[in-house]
Parts: sequence; C-alpha cells; structure tokens
Amino acid sequence: MPEIPAVSRRSMLGGTLATGAVVAGLGSAAGAAAATSAAPSAAGAEASAPGRRPGQKSMINVPFEEYRTVRVGVIGLGNRGSGMTTGWSVIPGCVVTAVCDIRADRAERTADGLVADGMPRPAEYGGSADAYAKMLRRDDIDLVYIATPWEFHYEQGKAALLSGKHVVVELPIATEVSELWDLVDTSERTRKNLMLSENCSYGRNELAMLKMAHEGLFGDVTNGHGGYLHDLRELLFSDTYYTDAWRRRWHTRSTASFYAMHGLAPIAAAMDINRGDRMTTLKATATAPKGLADYRERFIPKSHPSWRETYINGDLVSCAIETARGRTIRAEHDVSSPRPYSRINSLAGSRGIFEDYAGTSTTGGRIYVEPDHGGHSWRDFDAYRKEFDHWLWKKLGDEAENGGHGGMDYILQWRTVQLMRAGLVPDIDVYDSASWCAPVPLSVMSLEKEGRPVAVPDFTRGSWVNLRSGLDSRSTDMPPVS
Amino acid sequence: MRSARRTGRLRTLAVAVSAAGATALFPVQATAASAGAPAEAAVATEVSVSPVDLDGPAISTVKVTVKNAGPQQLRSLKVAFAGPTGWAVQPSVLSVDGSLPAGASADASFRIQVPEKRPGFVIRTFTATATYKGGDGRGTATGTRTERSGSPQANLAAAYNNVGVTDESDTGPGDYDGEGNSFSAQKLAAVGLTRGAKVEALGAELTWPDVAAGTKDNVAASGQAVELAGKGSALVFLGSGVTSGATGTASVHYTDGSSSTGTFGFPNWSFDPADAHGATLVKSTDGRNRPDGYGNATVKYRVFAHSIPLDPDRTVDFVVLPANANIHIFDMATAP
Repeated sequence: MPEIPAVSRRSMLGGTLATGAVVAGLGSAAGAAAATSAAPSAAGAEASAPGRRPGQKSMINVPFEEYRTVRVGVIGLGNRGSGMTTGWSVIPGCVVTAVCDIRADRAERTADGLVADGMPRPAEYGGSADAYAKMLRRDDIDLVYIATPWEFHYEQGKAALLSGKHVVVELPIATEVSELWDLVDTSERTRKNLMLSENCSYGRNELAMLKMAHEGLFGDVTNGHGGYLHDLRELLFSDTYYTDAWRRRWHTRSTASFYAMHGLAPIAAAMDINRGDRMTTLKATATAPKGLADYRERFIPKSHPSWRETYINGDLVSCAIETARGRTIRAEHDVSSPRPYSRINSLAGSRGIFEDYAGTSTTGGRIYVEPDHGGHSWRDFDAYRKEFDHWLWKKLGDEAENGGHGGMDYILQWRTVQLMRAGLVPDIDVYDSASWCAPVPLSVMSLEKEGRPVAVPDFTRGSWVNLRSGLDSRSTDMPPVS
Repeated sequence: MRSARRTGRLRTLAVAVSAAGATALFPVQATAASAGAPAEAAVATEVSVSPVDLDGPAISTVKVTVKNAGPQQLRSLKVAFAGPTGWAVQPSVLSVDGSLPAGASADASFRIQVPEKRPGFVIRTFTATATYKGGDGRGTATGTRTERSGSPQANLAAAYNNVGVTDESDTGPGDYDGEGNSFSAQKLAAVGLTRGAKVEALGAELTWPDVAAGTKDNVAASGQAVELAGKGSALVFLGSGVTSGATGTASVHYTDGSSSTGTFGFPNWSFDPADAHGATLVKSTDGRNRPDGYGNATVKYRVFAHSIPLDPDRTVDFVVLPANANIHIFDMATAP
C-alpha cells in the first residue's frame, strides 16, 4: 500500500462542495412543509439538488435482480477485509470468486484460507494500485465488497458500480459531498445498489430499538443520540494493525467526525430518515486534540515515525443534526480518549427513553417508558429486547453468535445475500449510505465556520417524504441452495 | 351514529361520526349514549375511517371518507389523519379540491406505518378530523376507528406484574414503588389484610390477593385489558399510588360492544392526604419493608379504594386499566 500523500484538510474533506451542500439544504424547508401539506411537493428539494441526467432514475424501492448464487469479489484484505471474506464464504448461496489487495501476498493468503476451509479457490489480484480494476472486469462477480482504507472507498465503489456490480462498502462510502452525490448518481445510472456496510444497523439492541420506535413505545420520537466512542489509541499506534498507519494519519489531516455512522445509522433508522423524515442541518463542535499526543508521549518510543506527526482532529467531535420533522440527533466520534466502548444508542420521545451501554441488564440497555413505568427509576431492557427482537436475530441468533462484532457481521452478510438471492429491496440503500456518511465532510465545513449549521443534502431529491419500509422488515426465508 | 360491528378476528368497536361537539372525541361513548338517535346526528357531517391492515411491519393505506350531510355546499375541506401515538402518517393533512354538494362524499387516502403486531390484547385508535366551511355549518367533524386484537387477561391476577407485599424476613423481592420498598405482610395482617381476605369498600366486596408474600400481587397499570363479568352502578378499585400523579382513565367495555370511561386516582401510599383524588382510605399499616429490612415504622403506608361509574343496564365484558404505572391495583369489583 503506498504512503498516503500529505493532503490539505480543505481539499480532502468538504472544500469545494460546501456550496453544493448548503444549496441542497435550502430545499429542506420546502420539503418539510410539503410533507404536511395536502399535496406533498418535492419541488424545492428537486430544484436544489443536482439534476439527474436524462434516463437517470431513483433507486428507491428498486429490488435486486434474483441471483441463484451471489458471487462476491473482495477489495482490501487487511484485518476487516480478510475476516469478512471468510464471513461471505459461509453464507448459504454465496461464494467468494475473487479477492484483491495491493499486497499480492494477502490475496494469496486469503485464497489459501478459503481453500483450507473447503471453499473454492478465488481468483487472486494484487501487486498494483489498479489491481482491483482488473478484478472488476470479471464477469463472475455479482457483489463487490470493499474494505480498503477510507480514502479509496469512493473511487473503488464507483468503479464497481460502473462495472455493473452491486457494492457493499465499509464506512464511509466517501469523504466529500461531491463524491457522495456522485455515488448516488452512479447508482441511479447503473441501476446497481450501493450499500454502506453498516453492521451496527443490524445490532440486536439497535433493531429492537427501531421496532419499539415504530410501535410507538417512545411516543413521538423527538431526539436520539449515537456515536462511535472507542479507545483506539493502542491500535492507531500499532505498526501492524492499520496498514501504513492509515487510520492514524487521518488525524493529522482534518478535524472531522470521521466515523460516527455506527451510532448515527441506528438512530436515523429509528427516525425513518429518508423514509418520512430527513436530516436538514448539521453543526459541529470539536474538543482540542489531546488524546493521541498524550498517549504517544507516555507510551511510544521517540524513534517511532509517529513522532513526525501533528494531530489536529479533536478528540471528541460532536454533530448536532436537525431533521425536517423537528427532531434532533447528536452524533459523536471519539477514538483517541481513554474510555470504555460505547455507541450510545439512545432514543427518546414524548413517552419514554432507551439508553444502551447503561445499566446492569444482560442486554446492556435500560429503559423508561410510560405507561409501563413510573417512579423515575430505570428498568432493564431485557423484557423489551425479547418482545421486540428482530426476526433476523430470532432466526439467526445462534448462527450469528460466532460471527464478528457480536454477530452483527453475520447478520449483515446473511441478509445482504438473502436480499440478492430473493430479489428484494435492500434494507440500506445508496441514499441511506450517503446521508449517514455526510457528517464526515459536513462536520469539517461546520467547524470551519466556527460551528455554524450547514445544510445536509437531500440525496433522495425530495422522495424522503414518502413512508417506506427499511430495516424493520417482514420475516422471509433464505431461498434454498440447490 | 353507527353501532358496533364485527370484522373477522379484528373487532371493529365503532366507526363513529360526530360533528364538532363535546362527544366528538369520544365516539365510543357516544355510541352508547346516542342510541336514541337525536335528529341532529342525521344532518351532521360524517367522517369514516376505512379498516386498517394491521399486519405489520408494513406501510398500510387508509381511506377517510367525508360525507356532506348538511344542507349547504361543503367547501375548503381539509382532512387530518392520525394513528396511535408514534405511528408515522403520510401526509398528516390533505386538502380536497372543489366543493361537495349536499349528500356527496369525498375520499382522502393516507399511508401509515404499521408495526409488527404485538402479542396480547391491543387496542389501536385511528382518528380523522375534517375541517370545512359550509355543509352543516359546524366547521369540523371527527371520525374514529378503534380496532383491537388479542384477548384480555382472564382476571386481574393474570395481569399481576409487581411485588407489593413481602415478608419482613425477606424483603428483597419487593418493589412496590420502583425503589425496592413494599408493604409488610405482617403489618397488613395486623389490620386484616391477609391472603384472600375480603375487603368491603364503596359498596363492593373485594379480595386481597391470595398469593404468597414476595410474589407478584398487584398490577402497575399500563393499559392492560382484564376480563370482568357482572353488572353494577360502579367499578371499585383497591390499591394505592406511588410517586405522584397516580390518576388515569379506565375504560369499561360491555358485552353489547358499547363502552364507557371513568377517571380515578389514588393518593401516594404514604405522603398524600388520604382523600387525595377523591379516594377513600381502606387500611393503614405501620412502616414498610425496605431492601434492607423492615423500617420507617412511624410512617403510615396505606391502601385506598376509588370507583368509576358503570352503566347499570349493561353487562361488563372487560376493563382496560389506566395507562399510568403509578397506579397500583390489588383488586377491582363491581358495586351494586
């Protein structure tokens, strides 16, 4: 993997796209107003979004073609990619047909591993930066899974769409607003689905929270709070975990909420973002960048290459997001402070509140909802998680148990393959993916404006007003494997 | 006003229509009260809500029909629709172009997000409100559809969800007030409240829970539906409140499909005046059981009775308890 060249924060994130984003937001008020009027009109949002090319159409509610077998090609075989490659290979009706990494030895090792597990040997690609492009020319790939460093996601995701494949991209799908729009447009033009690999959207507590919100247990949902609070300092300074220290280097380039999607996406789902509501504005704050330098000072030898780096990203970057329906979302990102892990996962409304990563219940959550509860005291989440357990977990919980990240990876991969084999509409579409990743560049823009709000683009071009199903799906079976 | 009807497993309690007025938001009550058919109802604007497909999770479509039963053209019609709290509706308001001659109807379609069906007894209420000019001259009319699924609990004991009484030698299971406190079984016995004891209150004969101390013995009310057979002039509840604001509305459903409602409240089990919310003191005990054992011996912890009126001509089928978990109920019974 080549060294990542030094890039200015403006050119890497936000930058020239600020104008587009703000303009896009002007349509939100019109969209919101339209949603409550007699005849909802998306005219405002349509006018402010980049126009579609002739023939280009929305991908909302567009199902996959039915695939008898889903053939997967993997780009990026580091820690995440290699683990997920094994994950894809064990899903019924799925086969890994090609693997690619700029380091050819990784591709060979991954192929060897699959063969050792009794799977067919995939084709191997590597040795150059454009090896993935060669892999994309194959005609035996239906789905491309991308798990390379963040800076490559957009380019590789777009190329995969243009090669006629569906795509699952690790977080984030892109880091600039123009890139997000381009992926939306490319998906609409190629008629191929692009999906953020947001495993936390399939978390057991998160899905139960979503179903409870739809039941109305929280009343009218007014606010939510999510994030990614994970002390990664040791891994960021590891010489082996993140190839070429790519993730630590992002902290030298930009002040941004790099990776809040794990907490934002479940809250957005529970609020039906892009399915009846949408995010309209975002304003960001950032604390001083203390954590990484302090850790380095205490634990990293002076000879380490990290001593040539200056960390500029705030330890805690918070985004306050408003929605067209008047809700608020707080999305946080902190990977450089000492603290236990949390994605927060808190949702509240006129009748109650759920908080994850709190309390002492076996589920890790606590709850207080009227009329079930009184006395100002929290209750364990367990009984509610049991009642509102998503069918995917009821069906696959035992199988998922041994999968990565508490089973979320297995659920995501199983469901993705099932959606493709059964010809269903994706739970997470390109619009969700773009919206959930938009805080990456938008936080940069807001921070550059001293925390003033910036508009969130309406990637649906006005269609967010329409109710539609998503992750709260009906139970269906995996088509049998012949 | 239309009377109740049944549609398969989902019973439609009422598709009620009412012009703006005191009863407009209580169509189920109005169904029972207006069986004599005042002439006024015949000329009121009619708003009806189509059956709702509750087989979720899904997006269902609901049709609202507004009929101009008044003598004038009805114009500037807007229809608002809402489902149970927290259910998304698209759009929430629709305008109907043009005007409706007398006797004509207009339909408005709404989409609603229906969650997966919950187990147990569930009542869902959908409300459509029309605002307009002309027509019957009232300016607004409301229609509701109430649909229910599942069956009520067989009796109150089946709905017990809280441990309110513990033995002084084992106070751990108690959690009457959400803070781990409970009545002392010994102190209750000292005032006659032993397992299965009969309690006379407000004309009703009630029964103290016939369960062992330290087990679930009362219902923290959260809208549970409980079967209760009988007739009477009042429905009496035995219990007390925790924290504050232990008041709420119970609805009584009769075997003929009609219903009535009543609001009652209990004082806090220790600190409110004994007649707060109009309740009647039944028994007082000394002290309470805390997580660490019996204590607060100088404080009175109390049990009250309160009632709501019943239609004495109808037979009770089931009762839906208030949606307020601060209300704790040990028993309920009809009074002649």
